[in-house]
Amino acid sequence: MSSTECRDLGRALCIITGASRGFGQTIARNMSRLVKPGSVLVLVARSGDDLRALQAELAESEAGRVGLVVECVVADLGQPDGLEAVVRRSQESFSEDLDHIILVNNAASLGDVSRYVKSFTNMAEVDSYLSLNVTSSLCLTASILQAFPQCPGLRRTVINITSLCALQPFRSWVLYCTGKAAREMIFRVLAEEEPDLRVLNYSPGEERSLHSSLASQSKTADPTIRKSFSDMFAQGQLLTCEESCAKLMKVLLDDNYTSGAHIDIYDL
Amino acid sequence: MLDYKSSSESPTPCNKPTKMSGKNTTNRKTLGRGICIITGASKGFGRALAHEVFHLLEPGSVLLLVARSGTLLQELKEEMQSFTDKQQLVVHCVATDLSTKEGVNETVKVARQEAVNEIDHVFLINNAGSLGDISGFESLTDLEKVNSYLSFNVSSPLALTAGILQVFPCRSGLRWSVVNVSSVFALQALPSWALYCTAKAARKMMFSVLAEEEPNVKVLSYSPGPLDTDMQEEIQRLTGLSYRLFPCQESAAKLMELLLDNNFASGTQVDFLEV
Repeated sequence: MSSTECRDLGRALCIITGASRGFGQTIARNMSRLVKPGSVLVLVARSGDDLRALQAELAESEAGRVGLVVECVVADLGQPDGLEAVVRRSQESFSEDLDHIILVNNAASLGDVSRYVKSFTNMAEVDSYLSLNVTSSLCLTASILQAFPQCPGLRRTVINITSLCALQPFRSWVLYCTGKAAREMIFRVLAEEEPDLRVLNYSPGEERSLHSSLASQSKTADPTIRKSFSDMFAQGQLLTCEESCAKLMKVLLDDNYTSGAHIDIYDL
Repeated sequence: MLDYKSSSESPTPCNKPTKMSGKNTTNRKTLGRGICIITGASKGFGRALAHEVFHLLEPGSVLLLVARSGTLLQELKEEMQSFTDKQQLVVHCVATDLSTKEGVNETVKVARQEAVNEIDHVFLINNAGSLGDISGFESLTDLEKVNSYLSFNVSSPLALTAGILQVFPCRSGLRWSVVNVSSVFALQALPSWALYCTAKAARKMMFSVLAEEEPNVKVLSYSPGPLDTDMQEEIQRLTGLSYRLFPCQESAAKLMELLLDNNFASGTQVDFLEV
């Protein structure tokens, strides 16, 4: 008879950005099963309909039926009012019996992967990309940490969904690589600065994932990258969001990763 | 906290290039007849770069010095005047704000005007940069402040580099060099320095992607070491730390040596303290 370890992430307030679809949606579902009753999920995205559908699904689920609270914040994190709305809802949802704050910086965009560096002459386009992919995650994290300062009995975990692209340059992917490199550094600095905070830079293998490869296949300019995606797909080397998320949850539950380090699914 | 390597012995005297006296220097390496663009040229490392580079440019070359201060740029131009006149080097001061698209466009426009001359080397040094708020992570809640910082330190050099690449498309016989003035903190995380580290990491990646894409463009991320600049003065004032600083001229000379030797792999980062 095997003993099953009953592991969970505590009674948590978990904020997930980009929660309406893709990896963020998968994280929301997985988190809901790993947090104790009385926990709160704050789901953030720009798309209200998709968020509310997810909220309804989670309310109906087992977790929902034993007391998981699911809040939706329809917000553009690139706007001050959007950011404030998330912080405010999080503060309103907090109660003293919660013992874990989890912030999942997942929202991101691919950017135009059909163009090369020499085509990015429009500064506003680059600004806009960095605003969504870098600035919003930095400011949201700083605001949440300010709203929920360190205190005894309260664990705080900050997750950044990163990528191999944070470490390795890819032709025709300048915005995505630059944004991921910038984000990963933000969270590395945070880890150095706040030793009591758990900071996880998790790379879900999305550069290969089934979800993005199909989108990328038609959009990537560079023929070598296009071919390598289709080869991986043909050889069954791509992961589903679910497989990748399961590994993320295990990393969180084991809780022995080095804060700030790049944790790649393919190394686990 | 700041982990600069410091040798206990005095720094190795750098081999300062001897001033060209107009003699035939075909046995010395040069940067060719080029158009050389230096951003943040009015002070500090950028100014030192201007002083180093003009010795290495052949007659007919053009030097574009870009910064906000027209006055300081003009002073710099005058400092070099007797030599640049004798060597038939044209020096343009572009007084503009590179944190704006107008500033980037203006710089590209001036470069385009100079494209009429026959040149064999385009040489862009992305040096302009700022420190940002180093008081700590929790002071970084303001979207506009962070956006504005990233715009100047990341978007601007990307847009400028793209613009200059379009003015001078790669062709055989044209040498293309891009320098990204980087930092050890593009690779190493430093507590309280989220903005600076993030921008330097972003730039390093951006220029690495460029190196991957353009085999005919030689890309160097150069970490100049801690230098005697206004930026370092500000750092030491804010942090209360005091550590050894190197003269800008020494680091600038080292960069020129690296470029002339041309032995580095495109896209890599080289650190002044390690060469």
